[in-house]
Parts: sequence; structure tokens; C-alpha cells
Amino acid sequence: MRGSGEKLVRIALVGNPNSGKSTIFNQLTGLRQKTGNFPGVTVDIKEGRLRFPGGREAMLTDLPGTYSLYPTSSDEKIVAAVLANRLDTHFPDAVIYVADATHLEKHLLLLTQLLDLDLPVLLALNMSDTAAEIGIRVNTTKLAERLGIPVVAISGRTGENISKLISETEKLISGNSDRAHKRFYPLSDVEKHVTEAVCLNLGLKNQYQGLLVAHHHGWLPFLSAQHRSTIEAIVHDKDFASLRAQVDETLDRYDRFTPIVQDAVQHPPQFPSTPTDRIDAVVTHRVFGPLLFFVVMLLVFQSIYDWSTVPMDLIESFFSNLNIWLKALLPAHWLTDLLTDGILAGLAGILVFIPQIAILFLLVTILEEIGYMARVVFMFDKTMRRFGMNGRSVVSLISGGACAVPAIMSSRTIGNWQERLITTMVTPFISCSARLPVYAVLIGLAVPAKRVFGIFSLQSLTFGSMYALGVLAALASGFVMKKILRSRELSYLAIELPVYRMPHWKNLWLTVWEKVLAFVIGAGKIILIISIVLWALARFGPGKAMELAAEKARLEAARQHLPEKAAADLHAAYQLEASYAGYLGKVIEPAIRPLGYDWKIGIALIASFAAREVFVGTMSTIYSIGSSEDDVALRQKMKSATFDDTGAPVYTLATALSLLVFYALAMQCMSTLAVVKRETNSWKWPLAQFAYMSVLAYLLAWVVYNLFQNSAHL
Amino acid sequence: MQRRYRTVPDLKAHESARALAFEDAALAGKLTAMGLLPGTLIEMVRSAPFGKAYYIKADGVRLALREEEAASIMIDV
Ligand SMILES: Nc1nc2c(ncn2[C@@H]2O[C@H](COP(=O)(O)OP(=O)(O)OP(=O)(O)O)[C@@H](O)[C@H]2O)c(=O)[nH]1
Repeated sequence: MRGSGEKLVRIALVGNPNSGKSTIFNQLTGLRQKTGNFPGVTVDIKEGRLRFPGGREAMLTDLPGTYSLYPTSSDEKIVAAVLANRLDTHFPDAVIYVADATHLEKHLLLLTQLLDLDLPVLLALNMSDTAAEIGIRVNTTKLAERLGIPVVAISGRTGENISKLISETEKLISGNSDRAHKRFYPLSDVEKHVTEAVCLNLGLKNQYQGLLVAHHHGWLPFLSAQHRSTIEAIVHDKDFASLRAQVDETLDRYDRFTPIVQDAVQHPPQFPSTPTDRIDAVVTHRVFGPLLFFVVMLLVFQSIYDWSTVPMDLIESFFSNLNIWLKALLPAHWLTDLLTDGILAGLAGILVFIPQIAILFLLVTILEEIGYMARVVFMFDKTMRRFGMNGRSVVSLISGGACAVPAIMSSRTIGNWQERLITTMVTPFISCSARLPVYAVLIGLAVPAKRVFGIFSLQSLTFGSMYALGVLAALASGFVMKKILRSRELSYLAIELPVYRMPHWKNLWLTVWEKVLAFVIGAGKIILIISIVLWALARFGPGKAMELAAEKARLEAARQHLPEKAAADLHAAYQLEASYAGYLGKVIEPAIRPLGYDWKIGIALIASFAAREVFVGTMSTIYSIGSSEDDVALRQKMKSATFDDTGAPVYTLATALSLLVFYALAMQCMSTLAVVKRETNSWKWPLAQFAYMSVLAYLLAWVVYNLFQNSAHL
Repeated sequence: MQRRYRTVPDLKAHESARALAFEDAALAGKLTAMGLLPGTLIEMVRSAPFGKAYYIKADGVRLALREEEAASIMIDV
């Protein structure tokens, strides 16, 4: 099999949620892994290369964790869809079944289903370290004998017996392991009739595969419409009660494997009391539970800001120095500008997010690994369900306070498609870190530095209200979407609350690495392209406009005897006005005039589409203070700005508040849209999101502008 | 109307009972697959801070269930 041309043997990791599959996957593949999007659905399947000592290689697939081949969520469906179709590209040649040795009596259901599919299977008894600690003894020889498959006791955490797992796997795919497993579940009469008819129609050889197709014919993606209706007719004709049959089959399987487990596993006379119960008495407590959650989230939030400032500053100053250095080195030419102001600026815009994303995912993964997230899901499930979401959505929404991109990626843990979709759609309403500089400038400009009741500063109150506005918009639109979207998929909470454990560091680093990479590759491309487009819009103008503007700026600077720096700023401002971007700003002015904005704000709005934080920079250029880094100077310029036609001041309180509302609610982040497209696998949702967020932002900004404009006249 | 059986939400904290059967086939599928079977010993640990969900132990395995899920499990009296 070695060498090129031949197809790699494909091995799948299958097991219940929390059995430690991912940990073992990481042990077996290390960094030789990648995440691919499974066609047609939104769950990622991780793949990696498994290298055997002899040099041979196999493709290892980490399938989502599931309890059974009768799935209840979209990620569980993937497992059934892959395993019920021998022609599927992910269909494995062999399976490593991962089971938790400490709860073997609950972990073998799915294994017995795989046995009936006639797949070569190897049972990996994971968590042997914990099992030994609490005094559970598993007789692997007996288990192997009774099940008719190889059994290896391993620990993904300590690495114990991983090399044995690898050699057993190699034996399995070479057909050298002794396996003699029998059919596990004997079909009932009705099941037999249905299955025979299905197998005959589809040309299937395996009986259990036929049964799975009969159960799942409504949604299995590989069935043609014609097959679907044929099977529908068979099922109807034979009076096949699918749900009932599934439960009966499951119970029958338990009846058959429970004696085997009891025979092979020796439990200690008494389970030692675990710290988990004592911890949960506080962590899920009626009062302390939510309180603790609040504190934990505040800490997470705080850390994201605190720890990311230094690396973000370093990245920014690195790029600005590189920019200055390159500009000095290279001839003044538009190609130089493309490299520095277009490509490098775009790269900086991507990389500057990495510290926040890495820190956020580090913290969230720690919370996940130790088992805390399952408790959060339990505590907030009811609250979030009101708003069309799920307990897990809390985590995404809070993460959105840093950056919507990783926050949306973290919503993958939500099983129900509709709840996950709503979470994805509303997360960008939460005020992210990119909005902060915009808020700072506008609030400083418009809100007086007064105190209310002598304690609260009016400015920080406005800041707080911006966050509240975001949360409110997110929950309210969740509520509305829940009424509009209708999901046929049942929603479940039913979740295992795992015992508390120390995080496994290798898992942590690999997860963080994987998320950062996903961001850089997924969203990064788009940010880069958009910033190059924006650069071009601002760099070039129609006809001779740019040359004329340059000439005008030169004359004006000479007339006013401006120093070199101010002259350069003036030049930049005139050029921007004459460019396509300035032209576009003027084109959209009529549309944004009702909100109180002029064409200069229009340019900033257009530029902000790539990323909001561009607002401050763009405004500085327009008001020709491009070279100064100073908020105060910008605010003064903005204060004295007037409308070109009427001469009325632009930045009244009404305009500033309307802009604040607009920036809080509008979808102005290309990377978020890119991620939503990636996560939902369609342009429909990001487009809908863009539309409703923009409309909402426009309407509310209009309302706010008019409210304050009119009250100012009173 | 007087019911002749109880369901999981009827359990008080730290009270245990054995599961008998399920009221809903779809939920039964999910719960049995997770190892909650007729005959499983269920202990009520506590209800969620804002209600509508329960923290239980099923043969020592910790599970969180929604109100509807818990109410679909009939238990002995
Ligand atoms: N003590 C111990 N803990 C382990 C072992 N293997 C994994 N874990 C821990 O068990 C937890 C679950 O492991 P994962 O690898 O995320 O489990 P999974 O099966 O991929 O879970 P899902 O992603 O929910 O499908 C993590 O906290 C791991 O650190 C092991 O052999 N011993």
C-alpha cells in the first residue's frame, strides 16, 4: 500500500461523546491533521495521517461523538450517514472504537451496531488511568473473547499503550488480527421483511445496513428521490414503526452486552466519593452557580483585553515600522503603495486579531476541558431557549465581546441546527473590541464629561449602554427568529455532565492552533482582498481627478505656508476626496443624510465594511490629520466640521448618537460574514444577516437622529 | 387527575427511584442510547437555577435533562 497512486487505508475513530476520541486522535496524529468541511452539512470532520512503525500510513478520521446510529442532532447524523453508505468517501476500512473504561456498561451500544455492520473493529478502552485509580479492573482477554474483537486498554492522557494501539490497528487493517465476531442483534420479523426488501432494491449485502437505511430513508443524503419513495412504500406497506423499533433494538442490545460487561469488569465494592459532587454543589447552586458564572465570564473578558494589548501593540508597531521602512526603501510608485497600504495593512488587520482569538479559545477550551461548560449549558438552557438558542449560546455571545469571528466558530458545539443558526446570526450584535475605538472617538466628541447624580460619568454610562444595546438586539432578534424559523429537528438538552478533570495541555494547544489557523485561512483571505480593494478605491480616482487634487493641495499648502507634514496631510485629504472612495461617499450621501451624515462619514462607512476599526483612521485622513495619532486633534476637527451645502455643523449630539447606534448594530465586518458563510455553508445566511443588521442599524440610527435633532430645537 | 406513576421531576432532591418506562418514543431513543434504561436507578441531585432542567444521576452517571425529557421517564412509586 505504500507509495503513490494507491488509496490510503481509511480508519475512523468512533465513540460516545466525551469518551476521549479527540485526545486519542491528537495522540495518533499530532500536527499532521486538518479540519475539512463535510460536504452538505456544517460539521467539520478532522482528518490526519497515522504513521505505522513500518512506514506505512493510513488516513485517520475523527467522527463526531455519538451514542448510537439513531442520531438526534446534525453532527450525530454524520456518523450514521457515513457508516450506512459503503460508497461514502469517508466510509472507513476499519474502526477504532473508543470507550470509557470507567463506564463500560454505558459505552458499548454503538460498538455492537458497528459489529453488525461487519466493520473490522478494535475496542480501545480509554481512561484506563482513571479506571485503575478508582479500582475498576477490566479483563481485556475475556472481553476480547466474548466480543470477538481485539481489545486494548489505553490512556489518551498518559499515552499508555498507544503504541500497542497502533500495532493492533496495523494488524487489523492487514487482516491479521483474529476476529470472529458474530451478529449481535437478531432482527424481528417485521425488521427482516423490511430489510430484505430494502437490500434487494438497493443491492445492499449487509442486513443491518439495510435496516439503517429503512430507519433513516427520510434524510440520508446519498439516497436518490426514487429510492427514497421506494423505501417509503416498503416501510408503509410492512407497517414498520421506526421509533418503536429503534428503542426495542437498543434495549435488546443492552440485554445482550450487559452480561458480557458484568463478566469482564470488576467494580470496587464501593465507589469512592469524588470531588465532582462537592464542586457541583457550589458550581450549579441556585444562587452561587449563576454568580460564579458571571465572575468567570468577567475574568475571561478581562483577560482577553489585558493579555492581548501588548502583543497587539507589538504587531501593530511591527507593521507600521515595516511600512515606514519599505516606503523609504522603495521608489514612490503605486506598486509600493499597493504593497504597503494595501497588502501589508490588510495583513496587519488580520494578524492583529490573533492574540484575542488565541486567548479566547485558550480560556474557552480550558473551561470545556475541565468540564465546566457542560454545567453552563445546564444552568442557562432555559433562559437561552426563550430566545431561540441553547445553553451553549451563552459562551458564544460572551466571546462575541472580543470578536465575533471566533465566537461564531465556537457555536459549533450546539447540536441543534436552528439554535446554532440563531446563535450565529445574532452574535455579531454584541459589541466587539473593534467597535471600542469608534465608540471612544464619538462619545468623547458628543457626550459631555458630566456626572449624573455625582457618581456615574455620563460618558461611561453611554459606553455601557452601547453594550446593553448590543445584548438587547441579540436577544430580541433571537426571539424573532425563533418565531420565523421552523426546525424539524428535535431539540434536546440531555447532556452528560462529565467529572471535573485537569485540562490536557496537548489538547489545549492543538485546539488553539486549529482555531487560529481556521481564522487566518478562512477569514483572513477575505479581509486581505477587501483591504486591497479599499486601498485601490482610495488610491485611484476617475480621469485626472487625482492629479488635479494633488495640484490643488500643493497650491493651497503654499498659499497657507503650511509646514511639510501638514502639507502632506492636506494632500492626503484632497486625494481621498477625489478618489473613487470619495466619489462613492458622495454618491451615498443622499441615502445617509437622513441619519445626519455627510459624504465624509460616507467614506468612513464604506471603509468600515472591511473592519470597523478603520473608521478612526479614515476620519483622520479625511480631516487631514492623518499623520497624528491623536484622538483629541481628530475630535476638534470633527467638531468644527460643517455640511458643504448648508454650512450647518455636522457633529451635533444627534449625529454622534446616531453614528454610535449605527456602529453598534450594523454588520460591518467582512470577516464575520465570511465565517458565517463558512459555518452555514451557504451565502443565504450571511446575506440575510447583512440585510437585517443594516436595516435595523439604519432605522434605529434614523430614529435616534430625529429624536435628538428635534429635541435640540425645542 | 391522579396518575398511577410518578415521573422524574416528582423526585425530591437526593431521592432515588428506578426508571420503569418512557412516555415518548423519540425521547426514549435518545435516553436509552445514553444509558438511561428501564431499571436504571435515578437519583435527583438538584434542579437548574432558573428551573426547567434537572441534574440527575443515572446509575452514577451525571446527566442534565430538560423538563420534558425528565417528565417522559416514568419511575416507580
Ligand atoms: N483521565 C483521562 N482523561 C482523559 C483521557 N482521554 C481523554 N481524557 C479527557 O476526557 C475529556 C474528553 O476528551 P475528548 O478527547 O475531548 O473527548 P471526545 O470523545 O473527543 O469528546 P467529544 O468532542 O465530545 O466527542 C477531556 O477532558 C480529556 O482531557 C484518558 O485516557 N484519561
